[in-house]
Amino acid sequence: MAEYAVEIDEVSKMFKLYHENVKSLKEKVLFFRKRGYEEFWALKDVSVSVKPGETLGIIGANGSGKSTLLKCVTKILYPTSGKVVTNGSIAALLELGAGFQPDLTGRENVYLNASILGFSKKEVDKRFDEIVAFAELERFIDNHVRNYSSGMYIRLGFAIAINVDPDILIIDEVLAVGDEAFQRKCLERIEEIQESGKTIIFVTHNVEITKEICSYVVMLDHGSVVKEGRPREVVNYYHQVMETAEEGSERGDRRLEILGVALLNEAEEPTTVFHTGQPMKIRVAWRANEPVTDPVFGFSIDDYRGFTAYGTNTRLKGLDLGTLTGEGFVQFDLSSLPMLEGRYLVSAAIHSRDEQTIYHWLDRHVPFDMKSDVDDAGLLYVPTEIQVFR
Amino acid sequence: MIDRLKDLWVHRELLYNLTVKELKVKYKRSVLGFLWSFMNPLIMLAVFSLVFSILVKNDAMNWFVVYLMSGLLPWLFFVNCLMQSVGTVVGNPGLVKKVYFPRETLPLAAIGANIFHFFMQMAVFFIFLLIIGWHFSIYLLFFPLVFLLEVTFTLGLCMFLSAANVYLRDVQHFVEVATMAWFWLTPIVYPIGMAMNALGEWFRLYLLNPMTNIIQLWQFIIYNPHYYAAKVYKFPDKYPAVNYLSFWGILGTSLLAVFLLVFGYYYFVRKERGFAEQI
Repeated sequence: MAEYAVEIDEVSKMFKLYHENVKSLKEKVLFFRKRGYEEFWALKDVSVSVKPGETLGIIGANGSGKSTLLKCVTKILYPTSGKVVTNGSIAALLELGAGFQPDLTGRENVYLNASILGFSKKEVDKRFDEIVAFAELERFIDNHVRNYSSGMYIRLGFAIAINVDPDILIIDEVLAVGDEAFQRKCLERIEEIQESGKTIIFVTHNVEITKEICSYVVMLDHGSVVKEGRPREVVNYYHQVMETAEEGSERGDRRLEILGVALLNEAEEPTTVFHTGQPMKIRVAWRANEPVTDPVFGFSIDDYRGFTAYGTNTRLKGLDLGTLTGEGFVQFDLSSLPMLEGRYLVSAAIHSRDEQTIYHWLDRHVPFDMKSDVDDAGLLYVPTEIQVFR
Repeated sequence: MIDRLKDLWVHRELLYNLTVKELKVKYKRSVLGFLWSFMNPLIMLAVFSLVFSILVKNDAMNWFVVYLMSGLLPWLFFVNCLMQSVGTVVGNPGLVKKVYFPRETLPLAAIGANIFHFFMQMAVFFIFLLIIGWHFSIYLLFFPLVFLLEVTFTLGLCMFLSAANVYLRDVQHFVEVATMAWFWLTPIVYPIGMAMNALGEWFRLYLLNPMTNIIQLWQFIIYNPHYYAAKVYKFPDKYPAVNYLSFWGILGTSLLAVFLLVFGYYYFVRKERGFAEQI
């Protein structure tokens, strides 16, 4: 067996971005000398090797070169320099149901699509029932694909590629399309494939999935590998980069302005790392640019998905702040943080009691990391005693 | 290129499936479906028989309709192959940009489907000939060779044109116009003797058209000019006017066909790497 299932060796890919897409003879003759183009390097010296049986995750922002890299691996595009060596049969899910013929039945399309992916009729015969069962299309398999719903379409596309048993399975951002139950099923199937020792390359925006299923993750940015290693490390790095890239939004008329938000530990020192069970103080410094009556101060703690772990404000706590002038700060004392490992963001806001007027709102403004000494699963730590009766 | 041929061999089932798909899709959602393959030549035969036996009487040739059909069916095969394959790569962006497979299967499948249609039509034509009690020539045994020659020539041209069309979309439009002119420059609806009479010295140039040789071969083996047109169109140099075949013409056409096939395939394989970026 070869040492690597896929070996990507200093691959670069340059696209020529023509100013005018010259495609007809007249234009070609007329603009023969003038045709200008810009070079666009979608990939720059990317080297990644995948051993047989490994699952490689590739993450990165839009336009970072993920799909281009997959297309170089699957021989749809050819690198400008460098080379890609693959050992074994490849099934690529760059687009589900690519090549489906609307006027053929589901059954006919299964055979056609499998042979496009490079699998023989014999192989499909053996697995036909499995494919149909996986796609949950038993009743419709002899209907024309043109009558399929989009859900049925992608289910069938996925079922074919994932059941034909390639040595190397390449998946590009296609899991996101199915409903949750089907996604779950796909992930289970992917785990089965992993257990059978097959190699998988996986591209996704849902980076949390890579933590679940990948053994190695590479992060691309503007065509270069910026981070690679264990999934957890790379994904955390990804979140950091994405946060600095995406500015927390800000709004409000600033009659009452938030000057800053500080996160303090129990020793009242500013920090960005907290441990499960630790207290946290959120200090919101304000300045009244004109006197404001009856404002409400609030905060929330969101995870990277925008899921709010906790939030409260002075109105909910029954406080009446009266009229504010000058400067000062409001401090929220959180006696114990229940979150397990992960990255969180603090938002802070000042608004009127009826929330009709927003004085200043800093959305997802201050990031911090949770660390945990326990390996428990989930988002929150729930103190648990275990008793065993026998 | 040997590697590419091996790859193509590995994907032979895909080629078969794509060809079957072409055939199936063509007649899906039509009531007569498959029967259209037979209807086409039948209607042609009926119309031409009517026209050439009543409206345009040609006393010089016996069974002009058979002469016409024996050249027209192979010509239609050639033209349909060109027209349908030239746009196959450009017409399948969903596949070309998203899946790897030997791209030559796309034009090849279009040709495969046309080969099937050709045999269907020929079958109808031969049944017609049997019914009218046609006097077949012994040269009909060369059918497979003549067919092979035409397919070789067609394949090479189709490969070249379908790849060139990715980079220069004019090719598609050019083919439409060019085949129309080409049709009239080939002795299909008129006997070659007419061209010989009219062109004089230029007739040598006329003979350089490879399709002239291929079509004449078809007419020679099916129409059987020795029997049906031996007494007409005699020229001073004793050639039967409905056939002007020469050893050198056939050899030259065969060599050209083989050269075109090798060149067309080579060109296709070389250009193929850029397909996904260009469409």
